Amino acid sequence: MVMLGGATGTPPSKPKRLLVRIVLIIYYPSMKHILYISRAVRPLTDEDLQQLLDQSRRDNARHGITGILFYSHGNIAQLFEGEDGIADNLFKRISVDGRHTHVIKHIDKPITARSFNEWSMAFHPLEPSGFTALQGFVLPHHMPPTPTSLAIADALLVELVRLAVFGPDPSTPYQQAFPTLPRS
Amino acid sequence: MRQLSAGVATLEGAELRYGFVNTQLRALVGEQAEGQRVIDQPGRLPASLLAILPQVYANGVPYVAKACVCTPQLGEQAAQCFDFALDPYHDEQGNLSGLLLLAVDVSEQEHARQQSHELVTKTRQLDARLRVLTETAPLITYTMDAQGHYTYASPQWYRFTGQNPVADLAAAWPLLIHPDDRLRVLYEAETARRQGTGWNYEYRLRRFDGEYRWMLSRSLPEVHLPDAPAYWHGALTEIHLQRELSEARRRGEAEVRFLADSIPELIWTATAEGLIDYYNQYTTEYSGLTKDELGPTGWVGLLYPEEQAEAARGWVRSIASGAPFEGEYHLRRHDGTYRWHVIRAQRLADGSGLRWFGTCTDVENQYRLRQVLQTQYDELARAHHDLDTFVYAASHDLRQPSLNLRGLFEELRRTATFTDPEQGLLLSMFDQALGQLDTTLLDLATTVRTQRQQQEPTESIDVELLVEEVLLGLHAKIVQSQARVELQLCPVPVLVYSRANLRSVLHNLLSNALKFAHPERPPHVVVHSYLTPDGQPVLQVQDNGLGMALDNPGSPQFRLFARQHAHIDGTGVGLYLVQRIVSSQGGRIEVASTVGQGTTFTIYWTQASPSA
Ligand SMILES: Cc1cc2nc3c(=O)[nH]c(=O)nc-3n(C[C@H](O)[C@H](O)[C@H](O)COP(=O)(O)O)c2cc1C
Repeated sequence: MVMLGGATGTPPSKPKRLLVRIVLIIYYPSMKHILYISRAVRPLTDEDLQQLLDQSRRDNARHGITGILFYSHGNIAQLFEGEDGIADNLFKRISVDGRHTHVIKHIDKPITARSFNEWSMAFHPLEPSGFTALQGFVLPHHMPPTPTSLAIADALLVELVRLAVFGPDPSTPYQQAFPTLPRS
Repeated sequence: MRQLSAGVATLEGAELRYGFVNTQLRALVGEQAEGQRVIDQPGRLPASLLAILPQVYANGVPYVAKACVCTPQLGEQAAQCFDFALDPYHDEQGNLSGLLLLAVDVSEQEHARQQSHELVTKTRQLDARLRVLTETAPLITYTMDAQGHYTYASPQWYRFTGQNPVADLAAAWPLLIHPDDRLRVLYEAETARRQGTGWNYEYRLRRFDGEYRWMLSRSLPEVHLPDAPAYWHGALTEIHLQRELSEARRRGEAEVRFLADSIPELIWTATAEGLIDYYNQYTTEYSGLTKDELGPTGWVGLLYPEEQAEAARGWVRSIASGAPFEGEYHLRRHDGTYRWHVIRAQRLADGSGLRWFGTCTDVENQYRLRQVLQTQYDELARAHHDLDTFVYAASHDLRQPSLNLRGLFEELRRTATFTDPEQGLLLSMFDQALGQLDTTLLDLATTVRTQRQQQEPTESIDVELLVEEVLLGLHAKIVQSQARVELQLCPVPVLVYSRANLRSVLHNLLSNALKFAHPERPPHVVVHSYLTPDGQPVLQVQDNGLGMALDNPGSPQFRLFARQHAHIDGTGVGLYLVQRIVSSQGGRIEVASTVGQGTTFTIYWTQASPSA
């Protein structure tokens, strides 16, 4: 129970500020992002990937989850962002998913704003023709650079897991990967 | 007889004609069998049975044929199997008059029997395979009963322990366990047996040569619900080397960690993917962050914001290529101050694969020292340049008096007469000396001029930046004298000048303003720039120092080696140089000064800003 008003003589600013905070929390629930890496139990086929893409894209759009998933040769990494409870729940579900193991969480941190405006997956399909037109699918070498709104430490982590999943790509010089901050 | 589930028929007389045929048997021999001879109407009866019929009739002895295969019925797949019985029967007189044929369908039984036969064969094969595997695999297999007695050990056990194959396994085994491990092992095995679970533990077992070797023992109960398990089957693997290796690594790792934690230097390791998995103690002390807060890439967040992107790029490049990482960065300390560090990392192969080892070395002090050296070097370079300028100017300025001297001397020689021959010698010596003086001055001027022509290109210079640079060089003096320097540099003039010359001018004026301070007050210097109404850029340097006596403030003459304040260090060339530089560019200098109150120098550069 929050007491409002100053019968006790305390300045009203404190409870008011608290109220504002509560209202903010209700209307703008705090958000977080989570990054994990894992290994597929067996290599995922085009159909497996397509199925995961369809289901995740549908559910993530419904739950306001945005981010990116990398897949290559059984290596998996995903960064996703969303409201605290929803993101935690998703991670709980993903971590017990029988399709992969060795799930290691590397980031679990509050954020103030999203860095991705949708959820997508990047991988090399065996049969790329059927995928290129799909919503939410990107070829690894067509990936946009890491968003500038990520803290550089987080962007670095995304870059490193991207590198770990796909290996070095000589056609992508890493110069573009990090924004140079404007000199203050 | 018709309800019998078996097929029945009578075969009458020596010709064996079908007499009575029940429904079941009709399915075998056909609907129109009655009255026909068996040979003419055999139906699906197996050939082997047909062949034996006449013999059975001749012998008059009952005959049984089991599991005979009959061709399948029309429209059916599986062949049917029958047991056939042939029973001779007699007429009232006791004469043999026919055979009773009984056919029982045993297809299912036969099928089951065959299956069980296959099963037995398969089991036998499996058994053989299991035996070969258990006896050749490089591990010991065993069975233990519910009382904790070993009831079986594969031959490897006997080979490993050197025990006689007839030794009492149950008694011998526990004695071969290392005394330090024995109680623990017995206890753990018993607990597992009581709970009906498996186990997984390590212990030392004595080898045939008396050496104890580390073994991994794993077992699972054989469960037939609802009974409690009666047997545990398991395997024993030698893990001595792995264990020693990991022990050594653990020890090695502990030693390295101890060392790393005791060094006042930031040390860390990272996985092959570039994710940091270890920070030493000092890193957390320096940064004031826990290892979790730092995280796998948190180090980058400790750098100056302007440096982070470049450092991150470098790190990714190194991870991608395996090339060493090196760079100089500001690293934030727990109190918020940044200190210069050299960050180095290298990829090395340790026992378990590739890893990165990194250090951050504090080079703030070296950096400071380097800065001090740099300022000192700059000052030296400037002094050197000033001296050059001075030599050039002086040689140039001294040439005129020297020429005058030559003229006077020629005049003297022409008009005066000398009688003493020694005086003539003196004259020629004087002549020679004059010539020498002139060439020396000329040489000097040429040498310095050719040197400087290469060094001194002119360029557009932002005076404000240069003033700041000069003040940086004078930083120590400013701090030491507690001087206050005020800059009022708008509009900022951009001049086309030789950088070194302009720096000389500014340095001389500013350092003079600081040097000739009044003993009773700290220096207050105002650097002021403005444009005259006709657009000429002007720079003023005003101080509150000792001041000086002037003859002609509007166009002062700074003479060589003229020094106003003998008690203060100086060469007396400074202002002389300033004046020469400024006037060589077409400008001029004015001075206003009151002794004991201060001096103001005003420089009219004369040149309108060209780049504006
Ligand atoms: C590598 C990987 C990534 C996944 N990512 C997501 C995701 O982003 N969003 C999502 O809803 N499900 C994702 N899933 C699927 C979930 O693990 C889970 O199967 C799905 O949410 C359905 O869960 P439910 O059957 O409990 O409803 C992912 C699964 C794997 C193996």
